[in-house]
Amino acid sequence: MITYTLRRLSYLVPTLLGITIVTFVIVNLAPGDPVKMINQGMMDSRVSPEAYQGMLHLYGLDRPIHERYVIWLRRLFTLDFGTSFIDHRPVLRIIGERLPVTLALNGASLFVALLLSIPLGLYSALRQGSRFDRLGGTILYMLYSLPEFWVALLLIMLLGEKLHLLPIHGMESIGARYMGGAAHWLDRLRHMILPVTCLTYGSLAYLSRFVRGATLEVIRQDYVRTARAKGMEERRIVMRHVFKNTLIPLITLLGLLLPTMFSGSVILEYIFGWPGIGALFFDSVQARDYPVVLALSFITATIVLVSTLVADLLYAWADPRVTYH
Amino acid sequence: MPDHRRTRHTMTTLRALALATALCAAATAGCGNRSSDRAAPAAEGARPAPGGTIVRRIEADCKTLNWVLFTTTYENEVLSYLYDKLIDLDRNLEYVPVLAKDWEISDDHLRITIHLRDDIHWHDGVPITSHDVKFTMDRVMDPLVPAINKRGYFTRLDHVETPDSHTVVFVWKEPYAPAMAAIQQIAPIPEHVYGKGDFLTHPANRAPVGSGPFRFEKWKTGQYISIVRYDDYHGQKAWLDRIIFRVIEDNAVALSALRAGEIDEMRVTQIQWERQTNDPDFESRFEKYYYYMPSYNYIGWNNRSVWFRDRRVRLAMTLLFDRESINKKIYSGFAKLVSGPFYVNSWAYDKSVKPHPYDPRRAAKLLDEAGWTDHDGDGIRDRDGVKFEFELLITASNIAQQFAQLLQESCRKVGVVVRIRQLEGATFFDRIDSGQFDACALAWQLDPDPDVYDTFHSSMVPPKGLNHVFYSNARVDSLLEAGRREFDRERRASIYHAIHREMHRDPPYTFVNTVPEKRPISRRIHGVVISPLGPFDFYPGARYWYINTGQDVARP
Repeated sequence: MITYTLRRLSYLVPTLLGITIVTFVIVNLAPGDPVKMINQGMMDSRVSPEAYQGMLHLYGLDRPIHERYVIWLRRLFTLDFGTSFIDHRPVLRIIGERLPVTLALNGASLFVALLLSIPLGLYSALRQGSRFDRLGGTILYMLYSLPEFWVALLLIMLLGEKLHLLPIHGMESIGARYMGGAAHWLDRLRHMILPVTCLTYGSLAYLSRFVRGATLEVIRQDYVRTARAKGMEERRIVMRHVFKNTLIPLITLLGLLLPTMFSGSVILEYIFGWPGIGALFFDSVQARDYPVVLALSFITATIVLVSTLVADLLYAWADPRVTYH
Repeated sequence: MPDHRRTRHTMTTLRALALATALCAAATAGCGNRSSDRAAPAAEGARPAPGGTIVRRIEADCKTLNWVLFTTTYENEVLSYLYDKLIDLDRNLEYVPVLAKDWEISDDHLRITIHLRDDIHWHDGVPITSHDVKFTMDRVMDPLVPAINKRGYFTRLDHVETPDSHTVVFVWKEPYAPAMAAIQQIAPIPEHVYGKGDFLTHPANRAPVGSGPFRFEKWKTGQYISIVRYDDYHGQKAWLDRIIFRVIEDNAVALSALRAGEIDEMRVTQIQWERQTNDPDFESRFEKYYYYMPSYNYIGWNNRSVWFRDRRVRLAMTLLFDRESINKKIYSGFAKLVSGPFYVNSWAYDKSVKPHPYDPRRAAKLLDEAGWTDHDGDGIRDRDGVKFEFELLITASNIAQQFAQLLQESCRKVGVVVRIRQLEGATFFDRIDSGQFDACALAWQLDPDPDVYDTFHSSMVPPKGLNHVFYSNARVDSLLEAGRREFDRERRASIYHAIHREMHRDPPYTFVNTVPEKRPISRRIHGVVISPLGPFDFYPGARYWYINTGQDVARP
C-alpha cells in the first residue's frame, strides 16, 4: 500500500510538469496580446514602439517562450505565481480572495445535493418500479435538462423582483456589516439560497440515480438475502448492510466531484454576483492575463490529480476487498 | 460580461459594433429624456438638501482606482467623483477651471500656463501643488507605466515646467490644436501618496486619496465600491452622503434589481427599453433618459485588398448596405445615420453632407465600372480571375450579426459573396490591428476634440497607428495636418468639413449610425443633467445629484 502510494505520488510530478508545459504553450500561443488587452484591446496610435517594448519588458514578455517557461517554473517552486497583468496584485492574493466564494457556494451545493439525493436514491431503489421511483426519476431528469441561467433568471424575477422574498444579487446586503453577528449570517444565508438552488438542482438527478444504481446492486447481494432470510428488521438491513456498502462507489464519485468544488460556475457567478473562481478564470482568459490563467490551470490540474489519488486510496481503505500493489 | 470597448485616444473607444453590450452610444449634442432635455426637477420651490445614499450599477468591477492606470468606463465613472481635473469641459463643452484658477496660452501656442488655486488640498489634508501635477505627468509619460490611453494625448508634449508650487507650464514641441483637449484629460494624483513604493502595486491603487467632492470609503472586490461625501471639499459640497457602485454584470438581473429598488439607475438595452420598461409602475418610478454619445458604428474596408482598393467599390458597398432599414429593424428608428467620422452635433460635423442612400442599382453600376462583372457566368462577379468573395469579421454581438447578414443578403443579390466570420474579442482585435482582414464591423467612440489624424492619416497605418483599413488620401492627409495646426474655431471647422466631404466622396469606411444610450434613473434622484457627452463625462457631471429637498435647510 505504501509503495503504491509512493509510486502514484512519483507519477504526479511528470504528469503535472507535462500539463504545465502544454498549458504554458497554449496560453502563450493563443492569438491576442496582453499588452494590448490592458488597453481594452488596442495600442494607441501615439505609443512609440519603444514604449511598447518597454511594456513587453515590464511583463517579461520580451524573452523567448522557453526562457519564460523556465522562469515561471522556477518561481512555481516557491509558490510564486507572479502578479496579474491587469491589476498588478499577486496572483495568489487574487485567487485567495475568490476561492472562499466558490468554496462556499459549491460546498453548500454539494452538501445539499448529497443530503437530498442519498435518501432519494435509497428510497427509489428500495421501491424500485414504484410510482415514486418513476415519477421522481422523471422530475429529476426534467430538472437536469433545464438550463441554469434560465432557471436563475426566472427565480430572480419571481422570488426577488415580484415577491420580494429573496435578495436578487450579491453576497450580502450593502451595509450588512453593520447588522452584527446573527443578522449578518442570516443575511448571507438568504443571499445563498438562490445560487445554491441553481447550482444544485441539476446534480440531483445524476447523484440520486447513482445512489439508486449502487443500492440496487447491493440489494441483490447474497448477504442481504441472508439477512432478510434470518428475519432481520428491514430498517437494520437497509442502514447496516445496504447503505454502508452503497457508500463505497460514492467515494469514487466524490473523487471526481471534489475538483469541481474549486472550479466555479461562470454563468451563475455572473448572474448572482458571487465573484468566484469561474468568473475570474473567464475574465483572465478574455484579458490574456497569463499569470492568473496559468496559476488557475496549474492549481486545477493539481487538485484533479490529487483528489483522484485520494479517492483511489480511500476506496482501498473502505473496501477491504480492494488492495493495491 | 466582457465589453469590447477600445480606446482611441483616451476615453475614446473602439467597440466592435455595438459590441457585446448590444448598445452603442452615439454622437450628437442631442440628448434628454423622452419628452425633452430637461433635468428631472424636484418639487416646485424645493432646494437640494444634504443626505441620502444612491446605488449606481457598474457593469464590471474596477481593476484599479489609480487615475493614471485606469482603462475602463466604470473606473472612470467612480474616479470622476473622487478626483478633480485641472480644467474640465462643462455641459456646453466649454473649458472651465476646476483645480486651476485660470490659464493662459502663449502667442506661439507652444506654452500653456496653468495657475492652480491656492486653497486646494487632497482628502488627507495635504495641499495640492504643481509638483503633484508634474508627478502625475511623469507617471503618465513613463514607458514602464501602462498608461497608454493617457500617454497618447501627449506625444506632441515636450516637457512640463513648475516655476513655482502653484504654476504648471505644459510646453509643446509644435503648435498643436488638440493641446487643451489633452490637458483637459488630466486629474492629478498626490505625489506624497504615490511617490513612495512601487507605483503599479501601490496600496493606494485600491484605496485612493483624491481631490474631488467625494472620498473613497470601501471596495469589496467583485461586489461594490462605496464613496462618501468629503465635507472639507474646497468647492461646492456635494449633497449625497454616499454613492454605492454595485457590480452587476448581467443586464437582465440588473433590470430586476432596478425594479426591486436595489439600484437607482442603469443603462438598458434596446429590447429592455422598448418592451420591459413601459408599464405604468416603472414609468412612475423612473425617468427614462436617452441621449447620444460621441461614437459611431461603421464597416471598415481594407483599402489594400484587391476588392476595396477602388474608391468606387467602397462606395458601392455603402450603397448596398440598407442603413435605414437597419435603423428601423434593429433600433426601432432610434439610431441616427451618420455620413462622416465626427461627432454628429459637434462643430466639426458637416450637416450638409447627407448619408449615401440605399441604391443597389447604382452600386451595381459602380461595380461594373470598376471592372467587377461576372465574366465566367457563375453568378459571382470577378475581375482578372479573382472572384468578388470576401470575409467580413465580426465579434460575438447580435447586432454585428444582424448587420453582417443584411449586408450578405444585399451583396448576394448583386453577385458578391460575403463570408461572415465571428471571432473572440482578443483574436478579432489582433487581426484588425495588424490589418489582416477584408472587412470588419466595428465602432469608434470619439474624443471631444475632432482630430482624427491617428485614424485616417496615411502615415498612421498598422503597426504604427489606428488607420487599420490603410486609408490613403493625399487631400485628407494635408487637411488632417492643417487641422492640428489651426487654432481658430471657424477656420478649423471648415477644415474638418472639407475632410468630411472628401470622405463622403472617397469613403474609408461605410459610416453607419450612432445609437443613443438609454438610461432609466429613479425619480427620487434630482439634479440630473444630460450634456452632449452624456450625464457623467462633463463638469460637474453627476456630482450634484440629490435626493433630499428642503425649503430652507442650511448647509452643514
